[in-house]
Amino acid sequence: MVELKRRSLEEVKALSADEAVEIMRQAGIVGAGGGGFPTYFKYKAPQPHLIVNATESEPGYWGDKLVHKENLEEFLLLFEAMKAIFGFEQISMGVHNKDREWFAEYQEHADGLFEMRYVPDTYALGEEKTLIKHSTDTRVPRFVDTPNGMRRPGMPPDVGKVVNNSETLLNVYNALFLGKPTTTTIFTVYGEGIDLKVYEAPIGSSFAEILEIAGLDVENSGHLSLLDGGPYLHDMGIKEIGTGDGYVRRMTNALFLIPSDRQGKEFADTKTDPPEEGIVSLVGKVSGVHVPLGGGLLKPATPLVSEGDEVEYEQKIGEPVDEGFSIGVWASMEGTISSIENDIVAIGEGAVPQEEAEAEAEPSGAGGAPPRGEAEPFQEAEAETRR
Amino acid sequence: MAYVITEACIGTKNTACVGVCPVDCIYDAGDHYIINPEECIDCAMCMPECPVEAIYPGDEVPEEMEQYATKAAEFDYSAIAPGWGTN
Repeated sequence: MVELKRRSLEEVKALSADEAVEIMRQAGIVGAGGGGFPTYFKYKAPQPHLIVNATESEPGYWGDKLVHKENLEEFLLLFEAMKAIFGFEQISMGVHNKDREWFAEYQEHADGLFEMRYVPDTYALGEEKTLIKHSTDTRVPRFVDTPNGMRRPGMPPDVGKVVNNSETLLNVYNALFLGKPTTTTIFTVYGEGIDLKVYEAPIGSSFAEILEIAGLDVENSGHLSLLDGGPYLHDMGIKEIGTGDGYVRRMTNALFLIPSDRQGKEFADTKTDPPEEGIVSLVGKVSGVHVPLGGGLLKPATPLVSEGDEVEYEQKIGEPVDEGFSIGVWASMEGTISSIENDIVAIGEGAVPQEEAEAEAEPSGAGGAPPRGEAEPFQEAEAETRR
Repeated sequence: MAYVITEACIGTKNTACVGVCPVDCIYDAGDHYIINPEECIDCAMCMPECPVEAIYPGDEVPEEMEQYATKAAEFDYSAIAPGWGTN
C-alpha cells in the first residue's frame, strides 16, 4: 500500500506508474469536469499523449480558469512528474481561442515540457473526443470492434490519448505532491439574485447552506430554482429554493440560480466576470456534509467509521473495494458521524434530512441533459479487463 | 461542423439522440431525425447514443450518405419544434 504523504518532485518522479495509480485511487480522484469517471483507471494503461481539458465551456463558469491562474507552478511540477511516471511523450493544454490572454503565462512556459493547443470557441461541453478532434490531427473512431466481438463507442485511449480536466489534474497534484486526498470540489455559484462566487467547498456540503454563505436569502427565494450545473448541462439541484436541498458532488461545477418558471438553456447567453477574490475556500465553514461512499460508476467503499465516531478533516472514512471501480473516501470536515445510511456518511449537523441525501445519490434529469459522456465505453473496457 | 443523422435512422427513429442533445437541435423530419447544423454545437453526445450508428461528424459522412448532410443544411426548421412527439 502506497502512503499518501508529502513528496518532493524527485520523490514523485521516482514513483512507479502502479504506485501513482494506487495513490490516485486511494485519494478518491474522479473526473471533476462532470464525467465522474475514476481517474486512476485512465492511467492503468499508459498512453503517449496527455491532453489537459482546459476548455471550460458552460456559459458563466470560472472554476477551471481560476484553477489554472492560481496554480501555474503546480501544473508545471505535475507535468514534469507525469512525464517521468507514465512516460508521456507529449502533454498538451487544450484552451479555447478566446482564453488566450487568460492563459498567457502558460504560453510563456510552453517550452518543450508541454504545448498549448488552441481550439475553436464553439461551445462543445468539454467533450473529450471533440477536444481531441480540435486540438490534434487525430480522430477518435466513432465505434470500435473489441477482440471479444463487442462493439463500443470509441474513446481516447483508442488513439493513444488520456484527457483530464483541469481540476482533476490539480487533485492529482494534491495527492502526489501534498499527500492530500480529494475532499473538496471547486465550483461557480451564480445566477439570479446573487453575486458570482467561486468556492472550494467540502464534498457533500448542502446546497442551501452554500447559498446562504453566498448571500442568498434562502427563506424568501421560493421563486428560484437551483441547477447543479450550468445553462446547458445540469441536474436539478433544488426545484424551489427553501423547500428542499441537495449536496455538492465530486463533479459539481456550478450552482446556477434561475427563476423557477424558466429553463436553464434560456440563459445560454450568460456572460460573467471572474470574482476579484478568486477561489474562496469553505473548508471548515459548513455545519455538515453528506459524503457518498460510491454512486454513479463507483462501487461503494467499505466504511471505516461508525455512527458516533469523531473524525478529523481528511481522515479516511472509506476503503475502496477491489471489485469494479471504487475509490478511497475521506472526511471533508471534522466532526461526529451522525449517520451512515444508503452508502452516504453524514458528518456534523447536516442541514437536511436523510431522504434528501438518498435522492441526491441518484440525480434526476431536469430539463437539460445530465452531465455525462465518457463513462460508458470505459465501463465496457473495465468489463473487458476483468474477463 | 455539425453532426449528421443518416440512413440507418429510417425505420429506427430510436430518439436516444434527442434525449441527450443539450441544445435541442434534433428534429423529426418524418422518415428520420435530423440535426439542425445551425444549432448543433458539435458536442458529440448524440453519436454514441445511436443504436444503429446513424450519426456521423459532418466531415466524416460517407460519400453515399452526403445527401443527408445536404438535406440537413437545406431543411426548413421554422415550421417544427425540436424533439419527438411535438410535431
